[in-house]
Amino acid sequence: MKHFTLPVSPASVHWGYFSKKVSPALTLRSGDRATIETLTHHANDDYERMIANDPGAESVFHWTREHKAVVRRGAGPTEGPFIRGSGEGVGVHLLTGPVAVENAEPGDVLEVRILDVRPRPSCHACHAGRCFGSNASANWGFHYHDLIEEPKPREVITIFELDTSGEPFAKAVYNYVWTPQTDPDGIVHPTIDYPGVRVDHTTIKKRENILTNVKVPARLHFGTMGLAPSESDFVSSIPPSYTGGNIDDWRIGKGARMYYPVAVPGAFFSVGDPHAAQGDSELGGTAIETSLTGDFEFILHKHRDLGGTPLEGLTHPLLETDKAWSVYGFTYPNYLAELGADAQTEIANHSSLDRAMRDAFRKLRRFLMTVHGLSEDEAISLMSVGADFGVTQVVDANWGVHGTLRKNIFRCD
Amino acid sequence: MSFRPFTSESYSESDRLEAWRDVLSAVGLAPSAGSVLHTGHATASRRTAEGIVLARFAAGAQAVSPLSQAADDMPIVLLPIEDGVTLRTGTGHQIVSTGHLLLLPRKGDWSVAFPRDMRAVILSVTSEAFHGRKVGKPVFDEVRVLAPGGFTEVFSRTLESAARNIETLSDTEWTAVAQSLADLLPTFIRSPTTDTGGTATQAAILHRLCQVIERKLDDPDLTPARVAEAEGISERYLQKLFEGSGSSFTHYLRERRLQRTSAELSNPAEAHHSISEIAYRNGFNDSAHFSRAFRHRFGLSPREFRQQEIERATASAAAAGQRGWPQQALAQLRSHHPLANARKSVAPPQPDLASPCAEGQHLHHHLSVESDRVHWGYFSRSLAPQAEINSGDTITIETLTQHASDDPARMIAGDAGAESVFHWTRDAKNVDRRGAGPMEASVYGRGAGEGFGVHICTGPVAVRDAQPGDVLEVRILDIVPRPSRNPDFEGQVFGSSVAAWWGYHYNELLAEPKQREAVTIYEIFAGGEGDRAESYARALYSYRWEPQTDPFGVVHQTYDYPGVPIAPDTVKRRHNVLDGIRIPLRPHFGVIAVAPRELDFVDSIPPSYFGGNLDNWRLGKGSTVYLPVSVPGALLSVGDPHATQGDGELGGTAIECSMTGTFQLILHKKADLAGRVFADLTYPLIETETDWVLTGFSHPNYLAEFGAKGQSEVYATSSLDLAMKDAFRKMRRFLMNIKGLTEDEAIALMSAAVDFGVTQVVDGNWGVHAILSKRLFEDVRI
Repeated sequence: MKHFTLPVSPASVHWGYFSKKVSPALTLRSGDRATIETLTHHANDDYERMIANDPGAESVFHWTREHKAVVRRGAGPTEGPFIRGSGEGVGVHLLTGPVAVENAEPGDVLEVRILDVRPRPSCHACHAGRCFGSNASANWGFHYHDLIEEPKPREVITIFELDTSGEPFAKAVYNYVWTPQTDPDGIVHPTIDYPGVRVDHTTIKKRENILTNVKVPARLHFGTMGLAPSESDFVSSIPPSYTGGNIDDWRIGKGARMYYPVAVPGAFFSVGDPHAAQGDSELGGTAIETSLTGDFEFILHKHRDLGGTPLEGLTHPLLETDKAWSVYGFTYPNYLAELGADAQTEIANHSSLDRAMRDAFRKLRRFLMTVHGLSEDEAISLMSVGADFGVTQVVDANWGVHGTLRKNIFRCD
Repeated sequence: MSFRPFTSESYSESDRLEAWRDVLSAVGLAPSAGSVLHTGHATASRRTAEGIVLARFAAGAQAVSPLSQAADDMPIVLLPIEDGVTLRTGTGHQIVSTGHLLLLPRKGDWSVAFPRDMRAVILSVTSEAFHGRKVGKPVFDEVRVLAPGGFTEVFSRTLESAARNIETLSDTEWTAVAQSLADLLPTFIRSPTTDTGGTATQAAILHRLCQVIERKLDDPDLTPARVAEAEGISERYLQKLFEGSGSSFTHYLRERRLQRTSAELSNPAEAHHSISEIAYRNGFNDSAHFSRAFRHRFGLSPREFRQQEIERATASAAAAGQRGWPQQALAQLRSHHPLANARKSVAPPQPDLASPCAEGQHLHHHLSVESDRVHWGYFSRSLAPQAEINSGDTITIETLTQHASDDPARMIAGDAGAESVFHWTRDAKNVDRRGAGPMEASVYGRGAGEGFGVHICTGPVAVRDAQPGDVLEVRILDIVPRPSRNPDFEGQVFGSSVAAWWGYHYNELLAEPKQREAVTIYEIFAGGEGDRAESYARALYSYRWEPQTDPFGVVHQTYDYPGVPIAPDTVKRRHNVLDGIRIPLRPHFGVIAVAPRELDFVDSIPPSYFGGNLDNWRLGKGSTVYLPVSVPGALLSVGDPHATQGDGELGGTAIECSMTGTFQLILHKKADLAGRVFADLTYPLIETETDWVLTGFSHPNYLAEFGAKGQSEVYATSSLDLAMKDAFRKMRRFLMNIKGLTEDEAIALMSAAVDFGVTQVVDGNWGVHAILSKRLFEDVRI
């Protein structure tokens, strides 16, 4: 067993997409471990607190008229002229990786264990050692067309501080309404439409004393974790799908084990979109987006060894924690295959919880019948009385409903 | 997107009027001066195109007038739905019934009053819509009321169907529809009402003659002479006209009568009329003659024909997989006589028979379960209370699961209370009404009440001084299971779970036979010491539903009527099911309701603002639910006890297990609500030790939103997407009004810390709940 370290740098990240074409930032073997740094793509909402003097973050976010350290951001076009910028922000998450796993082949399952998760402290003199995150109530939020106060519509950034001295929690510092921001290439961003644009704090009006007396219990987790899909070379990081990705379930934190079906040789695991806390549904469009570092262990399960294990027949991401199993239902379980050539844009027009619930039901039924050997009648009775369905997210185009089964149901003696 | 939904649920009480004004002003209307201002439940769907607004409104009684500053000269078009309106103009009052179209000038002295509910489609077109095209120079300064028929009818129907599909049209489709509505409108203004006529052709006369016949079908003595006279022509000419059309007067008249009769015989809404009544009112005063003529024409006797139609309706309802009232039978609902058929005993037992015993200054009451103390499958504002108690009193309420009949030996036998409720022989059925349907079972023939609602509810309990606008706090102090009283199973506890035809899975089963229902009987085990402290359920056996003949001889092909005793020899029990699996308990009551204000008989299945079938397992021991009181006395009912349930209740039921609850009821008067957590409450609010749980529904108040169609429509249009929207709006309102946050703070907090989950997808009105942890608001020091 080896232990690797993967710090963030322009060379170890890809921004806004999953891809089987990106050269691996790290190659390891089943059983190896890695410490992987991740950055939130919302760090520029408060440059001073979340980027300044942090060499890793500064190197990735570096963008002047002369030089943009990570040019492509999103799965969109990389040839100009651009509406928003290279990659066009079709996908927004800063992902570290990919990590290639030796000998991984399509049909195998990759198990990723999260051994530990730690926040990344600020390096700025005024805030050194303290940890911050940003929450955007954004144009892709569930609330955006249903606001009641003026101005309508509006986007709002709330900066939180994460306190880890005791039971960790987050506390709001200030908020502001998004104002049009001009990036170093001269493109104006009237809404949050391209990641990594530094917000010029002279253009915004900070409102302090917000959410006073409210503390949000921390749920450190990675919103986006997954493998490269086989269908396209560049796949937007926003809609989650059969190889995982932007699942946005806060249960994917320390102690969690995720299982993903491998779609391309080497598996190509990437991780990012770190969150300090999120509620089921991620209603406003984002969590408390906070740079985190994780310790991971990778275990490859070869296709021929899957029979008779909980991974038999797995065609979708699966979560195991100490207490429960969860399957993830989506509006389209594999939107890339189902929606054809325009899938990456089309998916946003079809978002629905009703379809996601249907998918979660089918996945959980399959899990109970295949893995636990139940008859269909047993599976349905058990789902009715012992499985909990919840809203994972309603903001990532391919909406999610998870079905959760407590492990103590099977602990019979 | 040009579509904008509106619901009053988004707004606090103080903001509701202003928000509603905004909605009205979008179509050029304003609340009438001096009329009662509407601040209750309201929904509206609006869609706009250039110069065009189409809106569908559902709100409470109110009156509207023109928004005075509007100056455009195209009229506002208003189409009342379901109920008529009162039109007041400078010259007086006029009642306008449904189907009529009102053209209302943008200025002037008029008002339209909706005496019951405001349910209307409104079209507002301004000259922008015509992009400078000449549409004539309309002069429009007085109100016009257009009767249905002809062009008005075409226009009204287009308008109504456009409004009905307003959410689902794509932008392109909507623009085309909006434009054609706008293009039709000037036709009204250019061509006045008078029919300029032209030559009165023979066809036109014949058409009028047919209309006369149509109006007089009920007259057994209708003769050609009288019809001719009515139209001012000779009888000979009349006969000639009919002959010219290849028929004869007599033949035509009989055909029309038979057609009308057959239509009425196949209409479930007419099912409470006898065949001879229907024949008689269509002009057949000799029933033997009618039967012969009918058989000759349709090949079946009227009785056989009617039976065939009922079966067809049943089959199609089962295919649609929808519970509750079928749409076409709703007319019957309106003709219900309040309470006439409710609980068997018109004079209820003396309130609070079980002698209250003092406990501090508050009294403790006990409501045992027996046939006179329950109402089965419905809520009603008209039921006499079983107990009347004071705020602060505690009460123990015994409840039975309606699924006890799935294994009568284990769950009914030997238990006097359960036996009394479930007693059903060929001669006697102790609780006849089961559901909100007709007592004659004239819709599907399942049995009295038709199983439109299935839960055995104990109560109601009246709370002294409770008035609409108050809030009833129901604290659940304790829940204990009801053990078997059968000597063979003495002390053991059992429950049943049915994967039923209304389950979420039903239309996509994998294994054969498709469309099967499976019943699983569970045994409940109390927790032991230490590590074994958790109580749990284990499956005992299961069986597939087989057609059951109830004691009155009705065959139930599916689980379509509650309390049908299962004959053990008709089903095949399979043991060793769910082997090695034990399910931790979450004892709770699926149904906790106060009586709704809208109707006398409300199906117990869809949950709504009054509580009801919430099916949220968080309603267990130690938790509290706050319910908005809608009728005097509140009238609390409890039932549908569950040993455990998952979020979603996927297969259609939980582990249904009879239980007894102890509750404390606390009344909060409307005047004292300000500043409390449950101020401005329009939905059931759950409080547990650690959380606030807000209940979102597809249709937060389906009775008000859909009016008379509610008890059918709510089953047809449920969706998690709608329920999620409702849960979001309720949580935003709670955070803003109760916790004092701004909208921006509320949304940030919902993203970061509020958990939304699926409550149920099987109760007609699907639910999504929002959970707010109380920990968030503990004191912070940073």
